[in-house]
Amino acid sequence: MAGPGYKRSWKNLLLNKRYQLRFTLFMVGIAAVLMTCLGWWVMRVAEDATNVAMARVRGEACPKIPELTETAPSGDSNAVPMKLDDGSDSGGSGSGSSEQPPDQPPPQQPPPQPHVVVDPAVALTAVANLWCITPASCKPAATEPLVIRTGRATNCDAYVKKKLGDPASVEALRKAMITVVRCEGGQTVSIADAPEPEHHVTVQIDESSMTLTPTVPNDYGDSIVKHWTCEMRQAGAIDSLERGRRLILWVLLATGIVLSVGLAVYGIKMTHRVAGPLFKVSLYLAKMRDGRFDKVYNLRKGDQLVDFYTHFKTAHAGVVTLERADIDQVKAVIAAAEAAGCGDHEAVAELKKTLARKEKSLE
Amino acid sequence: MSDVPAATVVQDGKLGGDVPKGEGGAGGGGPRRTPYKRRLSNYMLDRSLQLRYVLLVTILSGVIAGSLGFLIYQQSATASDSIEADLTALTGSDSSLDDFKNQEVEQLHAGDRMLVYEMVAVGIGLVIILSAYLVIMTHKVAGPLYKVSMYFDRMAEGRLGNITALRKGDMLQDFFGNFREMHEAVRTRLQADVITMESAAAALRAKAGASNELADALDAMDKHVTQRKKQLL
Repeated sequence: MAGPGYKRSWKNLLLNKRYQLRFTLFMVGIAAVLMTCLGWWVMRVAEDATNVAMARVRGEACPKIPELTETAPSGDSNAVPMKLDDGSDSGGSGSGSSEQPPDQPPPQQPPPQPHVVVDPAVALTAVANLWCITPASCKPAATEPLVIRTGRATNCDAYVKKKLGDPASVEALRKAMITVVRCEGGQTVSIADAPEPEHHVTVQIDESSMTLTPTVPNDYGDSIVKHWTCEMRQAGAIDSLERGRRLILWVLLATGIVLSVGLAVYGIKMTHRVAGPLFKVSLYLAKMRDGRFDKVYNLRKGDQLVDFYTHFKTAHAGVVTLERADIDQVKAVIAAAEAAGCGDHEAVAELKKTLARKEKSLE
Repeated sequence: MSDVPAATVVQDGKLGGDVPKGEGGAGGGGPRRTPYKRRLSNYMLDRSLQLRYVLLVTILSGVIAGSLGFLIYQQSATASDSIEADLTALTGSDSSLDDFKNQEVEQLHAGDRMLVYEMVAVGIGLVIILSAYLVIMTHKVAGPLYKVSMYFDRMAEGRLGNITALRKGDMLQDFFGNFREMHEAVRTRLQADVITMESAAAALRAKAGASNELADALDAMDKHVTQRKKQLL
């Protein structure tokens, strides 16, 4: 510590933690509080200023794009044709369904009649192909009940029930205008009892076209460019304002952090210039307490408490002077006692011990 | 040897802060001094040490407050200018609204000026309060150093009397403890040496009848011991 070649080391910076940390933390704390409070104030005002500036930017009217007048012929002819299939006539035209009055009541029992007239012969053939096949036999006739005959091996009622579950078979009966099916010697079933096929509406949109004949102004392109240039400039300006506001926030945060860290380091170094001399004096005080009065070296360059250290050096020199005065007196008495032939006296021996201790303390 | 006082340290005494100039002290029989009291003029004991820290923190706080205050004013003035420009654009063609515009603009500028005044007032208040607090805070370090310096001066003169404890709230208590230990040890040792020298002088004086040289040396030692006793009071 006292050696002239001593250099400051980061490890030794905190010599007096209580004093150094107290002063350093106070300094850092003051800076942090000021930065936080005033920073919050700055951000509040900056937000107001940014909002005002944004409102101003938004308030600047951009040139509008002139509206084009559409001269396309009006009427339903250009309406997109739709075909709504109610499921009963998949091949029917769309116009057929659209021509029905909208307030027509929904079809009641029996099921609605088909809209398209089917050839009766074809319909009866279809019935025969679907119903009058093994294991059953029948002779379908339009508008008359269909009589089913089956062999003993086949339950006619079950056969009819099964067929009624087939939508194609039921549809064939409807087209042939047969409303009742009767098992020979068995039950009579109305096709109205047959389960309704699922009813999906199929919307078919045909190709459409629209003819516009707008009146395009000569500067239409320029107007569009001007409009969007203005809009983009405004968006850029608003974005720039928002960036500026955020920049203030980041600069404040960065400044606060750098300031706090810098102040902490500087505070410890600064207080070390006080704690260092105190530490050094404490070492000398310990030596003096133990009866050793070594040479006192000067403080390092840059240390504070130079005056205080000078006081210590004079105090140290004063104690050394006391010791030297004692040594001189004791030496003189010992020499005189030895000259008088009292060198072996117990008191002289005691004085010699004291002299040796005092001389050693000054080495 | 009964006239050599014991090396006692006044504990929790309130006579500290100053170092006895004479022989007065807790253990002495001299005139008692009036208790030391903190005074405003005594707060700057070590100007170099205290002013350095006070100025550093105060200037730092001033710079932070000034910089951020300028930012606040700048932002506020920018907003005011923006509003003023909008007002001018809105009322530019209508002279009947000039009064309204001027009134609004004046209000905006007055608000900005008031902001500056408020910030300056707060800044000055902050600097004053902070400086006062820092002087008191540093005084708690400078005070013990001043007291120890006074004791050092006494030691330099060869006087090692009683010492009093630091005041409540003072910092550097550990350092002062080290100093007190040293002071007590040196004083005790010197007192023991005085006893040794006095005893030796008394024992040898009986044998010094025929030796003038020894008698002179013992006389000198007696004087030395007498003086040392005074120094150790």
